[in-house]
Amino acid sequence: MAEAIASRARSGSDTPPGWSYDPSSWRERIPILILALVGFGIASYLALYQLGVVRHVWEPFFGNGSERVLHSAISRLLPVPDAALGAAGYLVDAVSGVIGGRGRWRTLPWVVIVFGVAVGPLGAVSVALVIIQPLLVHGWCTLCLTSALISVLMIGPAMDEMLASLQYLKRRSSGVAEG
Amino acid sequence: MWPRVLSALLGIWLMVAPSLLHYDGHASISDRIVGPLIAATAIIAIWEITRPLRWLGIPFGLWLIFAPAFFSFPSNALVDNVVVGVALVILAFLGGGVREKFGGGWREVV
Repeated sequence: MAEAIASRARSGSDTPPGWSYDPSSWRERIPILILALVGFGIASYLALYQLGVVRHVWEPFFGNGSERVLHSAISRLLPVPDAALGAAGYLVDAVSGVIGGRGRWRTLPWVVIVFGVAVGPLGAVSVALVIIQPLLVHGWCTLCLTSALISVLMIGPAMDEMLASLQYLKRRSSGVAEG
Repeated sequence: MWPRVLSALLGIWLMVAPSLLHYDGHASISDRIVGPLIAATAIIAIWEITRPLRWLGIPFGLWLIFAPAFFSFPSNALVDNVVVGVALVILAFLGGGVREKFGGGWREVV
């Protein structure tokens, strides 16, 4: 085991076995982190509007669409405004996306899996809200659509790292030595 | 990648088509439900690791082709749905090549 770690450190390879690249490299993760931070900023702004801290919401295309969507009955189904939940989701994505180094698919597999699982529902809920907006509220909300696009863009690039961690856990549980 | 981007744009087109082509009722409800789903799954399928999601273009496309037959669609919505539906089915077959290697892939963990 110790020799295996030492040999890995010498070769400097964090690429999973059978892979052509390291899904945990910063080149792979930084774009997702930027998306998560932008999403967090947008969702926080919308939550502040829903809480009444910010008086007006930026809406360049759809008239009073943002106001109707952000003050709709659906947005108040839960005790906290829905944008606040979105902001929390983006924060989980950003934190679980930044922890660990280039080999984290094997050193911190559960952090990677939290990251991968957090990205999925955020995107799914965003798309569901995009469907509901015109059907029930009869309005669109530019920043909500932007946030939905960001959350969907994060899913694909997060899945490769999660697959590498799942493969690693599977190998470890079946007792295959990592070389 | 381009077949996925085109599919996503077709999904976004379906979201705005009811307003631009001035139709409502079943046709607009259908388009505003499948439009975002088509766009979202096509965007996710841009990445090689989730490329197999491109096949969802086939059921979405078939829905667009056949839904006008079951519900009463105005003629401009009908033509629009059938054209977009056929395009989505064709696009699903294009651009399936994957360059990167992912060990045993998803098959290894399910």
